[in-house]
Amino acid sequence: MGLTNSIELRELWETRRSVVLLGLFALVLCVDLLARLAGVEVGLTDSYSFGGALSLTRFGGLLWNGIVIGLIIGLAGIGLSMTYSILSFANFSHGDLLTTGAFGGWAATYIVAAVGTIELGSLLVVRAAGSVSPADIGANIVQTPFAILVGIVVAAAVTIAVALVIDRLVYKPMRDRGGIALLIASIGVALALRYIIQFIFGSRNRGVTDTTGVRVELVGISVNLHQLTLVVAAIVLMIAMHLMLQRTKLGKAMRAMADNKDLALVTGIPTERVVRATWVIGGGLAGVAGYFVVLDRGVIGFNLGWFLLLLIFAAVILGGIGSIYGAIAGGLVIGITYNVVLIWIPSDFNEAAAFALMILVLLYRPDGIFKGVTTA
Amino acid sequence: MSADTQLADDPLLAVHSLDAGYGDLQILTDVDLTVDVGEYVTVVGPNGAGKSTVMKSVFGLTSYMGGTIVFNGEEIHGLPPEEIIHKGISYVPQNDNIFTSLTVRENLEMGAYILDETPTERIEEQFDRFPILRERQRQRAGTMSGGQRQMVAMARALMLDPDLLLLDEPSAGLAPDLVDDMFDRIDRINDDGTSILMVEQNAKEALRRCDRGYVLAQGENRYVDDGETLLADEAVRQQFLGG
Repeated sequence: MGLTNSIELRELWETRRSVVLLGLFALVLCVDLLARLAGVEVGLTDSYSFGGALSLTRFGGLLWNGIVIGLIIGLAGIGLSMTYSILSFANFSHGDLLTTGAFGGWAATYIVAAVGTIELGSLLVVRAAGSVSPADIGANIVQTPFAILVGIVVAAAVTIAVALVIDRLVYKPMRDRGGIALLIASIGVALALRYIIQFIFGSRNRGVTDTTGVRVELVGISVNLHQLTLVVAAIVLMIAMHLMLQRTKLGKAMRAMADNKDLALVTGIPTERVVRATWVIGGGLAGVAGYFVVLDRGVIGFNLGWFLLLLIFAAVILGGIGSIYGAIAGGLVIGITYNVVLIWIPSDFNEAAAFALMILVLLYRPDGIFKGVTTA
Repeated sequence: MSADTQLADDPLLAVHSLDAGYGDLQILTDVDLTVDVGEYVTVVGPNGAGKSTVMKSVFGLTSYMGGTIVFNGEEIHGLPPEEIIHKGISYVPQNDNIFTSLTVRENLEMGAYILDETPTERIEEQFDRFPILRERQRQRAGTMSGGQRQMVAMARALMLDPDLLLLDEPSAGLAPDLVDDMFDRIDRINDDGTSILMVEQNAKEALRRCDRGYVLAQGENRYVDDGETLLADEAVRQQFLGG
């Protein structure tokens, strides 16, 4: 009995060495995490120790932040994944669509929240010159819920409009070119969009939200109402997205076109209309995601989407590019990793950890988590 | 002149001295072809003869270079496929002819996309025609066998109840015991009143089944006759049917 076991173990070691090592590493991390939660610490050297002290609250907080950022990334990733599968190119300007939505939406929120009390100019450019403070405007979910709601809708609308104009001007004339030509064009679009935004709204990163009264106790847990708002809204949007794709004629046509463009054409599916719908949905979700990034962080800047783009790509690729469910799952995995690794490594490196996890997943599932399970 | 008399006199599809190809490359030269109302016509010929190109040209998928294509008394050459499908022609490509990630039923719904509402009775008609598809309607089409996929592809194309069905090598890739079954089904579609223009590599079987056949070589018509005559023709047998 013992003999066969050791032979089996040895075989396992020789054939799947990397998996075993990886499993051991994961096991060590899990044990370490449990030890930390239990407050057990075993000193290894002067500066390193196994276990430590980690309060359940802090761990829960990291996990929750991970889910929040993961849902934002997932929401943004849906659009990226859809443009990839329906228009056949990796859209590098997708991040800047987030920025577009963020500025468009917050300008609207500011105007609704403080028009009449504060000069319109500084509201419209989301306090570019910094003359008024967020507290003067008082934009938050407690004091001005309606302004936030308007902001979300305007963020989507502005981004949809911008995405459709860009498609008409840039991508439509290039529709039959290869994915590489479109990808490079999209990098140009990303730069143009970003610097137009910088020209209008300025280059300063600045605080936007007023956080007075936003953190409340709900059933004994301290909750940030801004995060709660965006989590609920993101989940509602994702469910709506699912129903649209599975139940409606347009949604089915989008899946059909993502599946097989040539056949969609000979079937009589109006492909240009499907492309426009893709921009409407993908752009709208990107705009809302951009608005939510600011709602979560409280800070806006012309670079916010660009800096998020790599994480969005990582999520989409991890989930299986082309699948919206993959984008959501990938977003959550990346977002949670991004935050939970802070237990072990400093925050300068957490992005690297997210990418390392993506590479690991791709080594064992080269097409991503959801590829071959569900398309579009 | 009323539309009825025109239909009675003229063929459903009339291709006259058609030149067509891909980009700048001309494949077809001076091709003539007709399909009468209710007729079952096949195009056979060696690999690279331009058989599929004829069919794609009718459906607007090639570069039009000259000649005329008249369908139901209306010139359709130079029109894009999304307009041609509205005229009453449906096309089943040879490869990748189903939406693999959609369910069988969704594939059929897509077939009727251009109609304002999905006609459930048409879906039922296709299920009556291909009963296995009724059983498998919730299954993803990509998980089905070769023969069943071909049924999904045909059912999808028949959802618009077309006047003319274009079939590109329907027996390609099918297991030999399924080929006969497939040809039987095509016979029945034709018996139900749908005219058929089919390209086939399985020339002998295709000519045996059809009303009339065209032998195409190097992008030009070589022989036209009813199927049995072509099968019996010594020159056709020698050159194109392997003796």
